[in-house]
Amino acid sequence: MSTIPERWLPGSLGDRAADTDRSALAAGAIGALLLAGVAVGFLIQSSLTAVFLLGFLVVVGFGWYAHQAQTAKALTFLATTFTVAVMGLIIVFLFREAWPVFELMGLDLVTRITTGETGLWNTAESVYSLTPMIWGTVVTTILAMAIAGPLGIASAVFIAEIAPGWLRDIVKPGVEILAGIPSIVYGWLGFIVINGYFSRSDTFDLASNGSLIVAGMVIGLMALPTVVSVAEDALTSIPESMKSGSLALGSTEWQTTMGITIPAAFSGVSAAVLLGVGRAVGETMAVTVILANVTDFPGPLFDVFDNTITLTSMIANQYGVAQGLHLSALFAAGVVLFITVLFLSIGSQLIEERMERNLGGNQ
Amino acid sequence: MSDAYGTDSALVEGRSSAFERASALAVGLGFLAFVFSWATLFRITPPTAELLGVTLYDLLGLGLVVVGVIVLGLGIASRTDIVTTTPSDTGGVAAASAFGLAALVGVGLVVSQTLGLGTIVWLPVALLAGAATAAAVVGAREDIGATIPAGVLAVGVGLAFLTNVIGPDWVWSPTDLAASFHAPVVVPLLTIFCSLVVAWPAAKASAGFGSRGRQTGAYLLIGINTFSILAILVLLITFVAMQGLPKLTDGLEIGLDGFAWPFVMNVSSGIYIDIPGVLPAILGTAWLVVGAVVFAVPLGVGAALFLTEYADEGGFTRIVEIATNGLWSTPSIVFGLFGYAFLVPRFGTTTSLFAGILVLGFMLLPLVLITSREAIISVPDEYRDASAALGVSQWQTIRSVVLPASIPGIVTGVILGVGRIAGETAPILVVMAGSPFPNSTPNVLGSFAFTTTPPFVTNDALLTSASALPYQLYATITAGVGATDVEAFGWGTALVLLLVVLSFYAIGIATRAYFRRKLRYE
Repeated sequence: MSTIPERWLPGSLGDRAADTDRSALAAGAIGALLLAGVAVGFLIQSSLTAVFLLGFLVVVGFGWYAHQAQTAKALTFLATTFTVAVMGLIIVFLFREAWPVFELMGLDLVTRITTGETGLWNTAESVYSLTPMIWGTVVTTILAMAIAGPLGIASAVFIAEIAPGWLRDIVKPGVEILAGIPSIVYGWLGFIVINGYFSRSDTFDLASNGSLIVAGMVIGLMALPTVVSVAEDALTSIPESMKSGSLALGSTEWQTTMGITIPAAFSGVSAAVLLGVGRAVGETMAVTVILANVTDFPGPLFDVFDNTITLTSMIANQYGVAQGLHLSALFAAGVVLFITVLFLSIGSQLIEERMERNLGGNQ
Repeated sequence: MSDAYGTDSALVEGRSSAFERASALAVGLGFLAFVFSWATLFRITPPTAELLGVTLYDLLGLGLVVVGVIVLGLGIASRTDIVTTTPSDTGGVAAASAFGLAALVGVGLVVSQTLGLGTIVWLPVALLAGAATAAAVVGAREDIGATIPAGVLAVGVGLAFLTNVIGPDWVWSPTDLAASFHAPVVVPLLTIFCSLVVAWPAAKASAGFGSRGRQTGAYLLIGINTFSILAILVLLITFVAMQGLPKLTDGLEIGLDGFAWPFVMNVSSGIYIDIPGVLPAILGTAWLVVGAVVFAVPLGVGAALFLTEYADEGGFTRIVEIATNGLWSTPSIVFGLFGYAFLVPRFGTTTSLFAGILVLGFMLLPLVLITSREAIISVPDEYRDASAALGVSQWQTIRSVVLPASIPGIVTGVILGVGRIAGETAPILVVMAGSPFPNSTPNVLGSFAFTTTPPFVTNDALLTSASALPYQLYATITAGVGATDVEAFGWGTALVLLLVVLSFYAIGIATRAYFRRKLRYE
């Protein structure tokens, strides 16, 4: 056997065509067919799915034994397509389930704000308008980002620019652990401790079933680690030479941070805030247990001490009793959430890419 | 050497040590007031506490007045050239906007609420006050612009506390808000705000104003911010631990005659159960984690390998990246809905453990993919080149060079990912949860059964609903926490959940630190 791989020789068709013999091709074709069978069978809920799956596993076993390299490559490719497929399935199923209520309500689903006789959300009369929940999500997100944005960026600056090494080794894992605390634990604390505190007669004298500001504060704390870690990545990715230039001109470190590092990392920092917004919008359990199931706008719109459900907490609160159109309306709320967060995610990706380009690639 | 440094600092700073000591004292007192107000807010010090016959609010007021006076003195001493400092010509935009905003809100509240004047009066007055303050701060030299407004604010608020304008029974009930504001929260919150506002110029003064002063001031505020976040973390964990420990150790027996840990080893309800436990939830979470890892890790690592080793940069990679990031940021409740619509009808039409495993697997997949991809990319290309130069095929290189080198990164990513999904509630709630207080544990290993018709293998335990630790906590809340027993049960569950999740995080972070150190010093 030649020691030079065949595909490097002149006239080779590349590794795929050169290395693949007939049996590998046949196995690949059979495997692909069987996998298609699995997919179709699973989608139409056929009991034959298991047969196809078994067949596919047999083919993969044969391939691994006879043509390991090609099989491995094919399997990694399948894993990649699976990721995309999951995303596709989520989109298809969310939209499919949400379609009936969209047909009923049209654009009123997300734009109706006049209460009328039936109210905005009335399952008995089949009136579904998501505007109060969207407003609840907007208000809690704004409150949360008013906390997580400035405090998160300041912490990122502390970790990336100010803290000495040993302190960074304490603060960074600390922030990560803060991210690790499950949202239901935050919810439990909010429900038992903070709601209880806010409803005391010598504090805020609120009703004991929660308020938007408590939810906003808790979400802010939960979105904080996302902002910190992404913003910190952006700040540390600024080349040391840029900072050194500023320091050599006699600027203080703080002037360098404000004048060089933060402006240069601005897009990365804003991506961090966008991702934080995404977290805040999607936060579910803490809000579900803190807020009561109120499907109206708050007293005056700006009253953050009042109670309005958010998109996420409405789904978690009502899915158990929902049927038919009501369930479909909950899926519509899921669609709104999904689209919002997807746009935030893509937006922050684009921003980060621009930053990488501007700074001349990844360090 | 030391002499040279001495004259050097004298030349650069040239301030008397009394000035520095006074500013340090102001910063220290301000920080003390800050910490003390938080303790008051959290009721660690009761509002009725007295120190040497002085009530708490008077004490806070006194502190603010003292710090305010010191800061005023610092500004005046610097302006009248009693001490030599290096102030800028302007108070700065940051200080101007901070003080301007404070003046706007403060004057607006006083005119509209205390004097009871309408919008036509208070809005222009407040705007005017804010603008005037901001303009004055920008126009004044830095030592005056930074210190005077802060000092005036602190002294004013402190005097309001001392003269009982804002006393223990003070309350403000605005008509438009559902809340009324009582002194026990207003006093500490005002003190927290004023202490920060007043410590900032004091820190600036300690470094003699100017650019170095601004650095000191900014570093103080940023440091306090980070310190507070860490303090919240520590407080949170300690609080849950203190509340949960009594229930967790209830009936705990470790002795020669056996080992009993009822809260961890009992089911959650039953006739013969004295102390309801969370065993079903613990086992449910364990199966979830195992199942999700078995499902998602091969897929995630495989996809990461394809993207880094086989695929070229292009349209397909781009789509995969968007899909992965989209999956990563998709809210957990949306995963729950998806599972409800897609998985539940296909696995026995009831909520089931298996559906929970798959949904959490879907959530784990992007985390594993992203971290594995980073780990694989960070394997140096020299490894691959060296292997290829020896005539080793691409797949052999991946299998015996790239994968082993990236294992630490992949393992760390998986552990941290598991820590995250182990605490997920929303999807479980929708696709897996059944009885809120189960009286049996999932027997997955013992439930495999083989049939002659497709699907050949069935497992009843996987296809019935199960509990999990986060869901158990949610169930406790929905069951109503009026009874003390239920609340104690909830605290115990919260502590167990926190221990499980945080130990995953601790192991993950420690593994990463270990491998980083190893790579650095080898």
